Amino acid sequence: MARALTRRLIFGLIAVIGVITLAFVLEFVVPGDPAKAIAPRANSSAVLANIRAQLHLNQPLIVQFADYFGNLLRGNLGTSYVQHQSVTSLIGPRLLTTGVLALAGVIAEVLIGGALGILATLYGRVRALVGAINLTLLAVPIFVLGLLLLLVFGFRLGIAPVTGGAGAAQLALPALTLGLIGAPWYAQIVADQMQDSLASSYVRTAVSKGLSDSYILRRHVLRNVLSPAVTMIGLDLGSYLSGVVTVEVVFVWPGIGLLAVNALHDLDRPIVMGTVIVGAVAVVFFNLVADVARMFIDPRTREEV
Amino acid sequence: MTREGSGGSSLTASTTGLAGEPPRGPALEISGLNVRYGSVRAVVDASLKVEAGQVVALIGETGSGKTSLALGAARLLPRSAAVSGLVTIAGRDVSGMSAIEFRAIRAQLVGCIAQDAMAALNPVVPVGRQVGEVFAVHAGMDRRQAAEAAVAALAQVEIRRPDAVARLYPHQLSGGMRQRVMIAMAIALSPPLIVADEPTTALDVSTQAEILGLVGDLRARMRSGILWITHDMGVVAELADWAAVMYAGQIVETGQVEQIFDAPAHPYTLGLLQTRRDLRSGPVGAPLFQIRGSPPAPGEEPAGCPFRPRCPRATQVCADVNPALEPVGTTAGWPGAGHRAACHHSGTWS
Repeated sequence: MARALTRRLIFGLIAVIGVITLAFVLEFVVPGDPAKAIAPRANSSAVLANIRAQLHLNQPLIVQFADYFGNLLRGNLGTSYVQHQSVTSLIGPRLLTTGVLALAGVIAEVLIGGALGILATLYGRVRALVGAINLTLLAVPIFVLGLLLLLVFGFRLGIAPVTGGAGAAQLALPALTLGLIGAPWYAQIVADQMQDSLASSYVRTAVSKGLSDSYILRRHVLRNVLSPAVTMIGLDLGSYLSGVVTVEVVFVWPGIGLLAVNALHDLDRPIVMGTVIVGAVAVVFFNLVADVARMFIDPRTREEV
Repeated sequence: MTREGSGGSSLTASTTGLAGEPPRGPALEISGLNVRYGSVRAVVDASLKVEAGQVVALIGETGSGKTSLALGAARLLPRSAAVSGLVTIAGRDVSGMSAIEFRAIRAQLVGCIAQDAMAALNPVVPVGRQVGEVFAVHAGMDRRQAAEAAVAALAQVEIRRPDAVARLYPHQLSGGMRQRVMIAMAIALSPPLIVADEPTTALDVSTQAEILGLVGDLRARMRSGILWITHDMGVVAELADWAAVMYAGQIVETGQVEQIFDAPAHPYTLGLLQTRRDLRSGPVGAPLFQIRGSPPAPGEEPAGCPFRPRCPRATQVCADVNPALEPVGTTAGWPGAGHRAACHHSGTWS
């Protein structure tokens, strides 16, 4: 078990380094001059050259990368070109707000999706209805759903704030948006797993032992449903933490996604790199957490190499 | 292994295992059992009796309805199956009970052993807990007591180091061990009836022999009646007292195992035995005996005897009338009264 985890950790590290390298190179090939973005009104080429020299932009790519990587190992993500603040101090609070949204979103999608999946499995009459709901939610683009919720709950009913920000009241709609968009996947996986489990031989054994339906659901079915759901939760947490850009833009939720979009706009390379690194680490980390959680839930995965 | 008489009534068991409650009547009595899945009739008007302490083998090929019959009697079929008929377990009419009523006492009445123990055990629950929950739910034990009872139950089925095994998960056990765990669960509350659905089919030969030996011991100790589903005539010969042969959802022959083996009255039974004899003692290189043709497809119900298209002795009457299960070997004083077959020609050729 420890060996398998170490292996995954090493692969994760390699993946993170790969992502950093790729992002760095990509940023370099993207057209646009950061110096011009920093000083849009500078008309002398001497000023621009000066800025480039200050930012070491005139050095070869390999040297820039080595510098960047060396700083990274010391925990230094550099300084924003535009905001003149260290990237870590800019990303830190954003990571927290995005983390709150990601967690709320995952909880919402697990609750909504889980409920839909369980209903569809246990009550044949609502199965078609749940299927229709799933299909609708899958077909709606995330920004349309976000705007729709904002329109209905914010403007029409006036029960949700329409001004952006990272308050508790502002959390509800973006979390609900994430929840509704993610719910069909969970509904599907829960329904599939539950149907398999209910038709399984071990549930028949449980019935033959005279156990009640609710006991069988809790003790024998649920654990078998949980394992694949946990893997999906890990994937979602990782990808949401790397920035739920659309949702953050629609609801003006001051998270990493919003930060990244603005930084891309400004050609603020240190911030873009910082958000990429946070995203990569989040994905790797939560995948690992999901693996560990699965090992606790399903003993068969403990012995996999 | 000892061989008991047909009725099992001559058995003197040291313990009844029923918590002081003597078994009343036969372990299982089925009469007029029908099972259908939609328009497909899986079991047609089957009647069968399993006495206490007796092993009754239910023989038939895949699709003959033997599993439907056994699971129908134990009320373990999915809701899509329509089951009708009278089922009595240890004197209690279970077919008339509500689902809730039956659930409360089912583990006391009937234990079930599945064919594939790997699939029949929950992969994510330690086996000790799976055995223990029977005690927790039905014997009113708390967690610790149930765990202890589970270890004792595992010891009963001759699992070495039962306390360590109890903590393991099914995939960590060998096939034979898993089947022992299944048996431990089935006999946990010493039920008067055990239904075993081909429990040795998935095992290798030596493990199979161990499990058969274990079941033989348990039967002698507990006096439970055992309904043993199989298509293996060797297992029948070794373990069973009584046999019932199924074909196309009907019981076509039933009797003492000796009667069935020595004087099969139904051509289908004869065919099954012939296959086995060829395997054991036929000349090397000679073609194996084979029952020609194949059984009717599910839902297909030809008029007359269902075996007629494959039967070497079929006559016109076989095409017209489906024969009823009737006594054969009417020789006076024949000790094995009860040998019956559903064949128009059973008296004329064997």
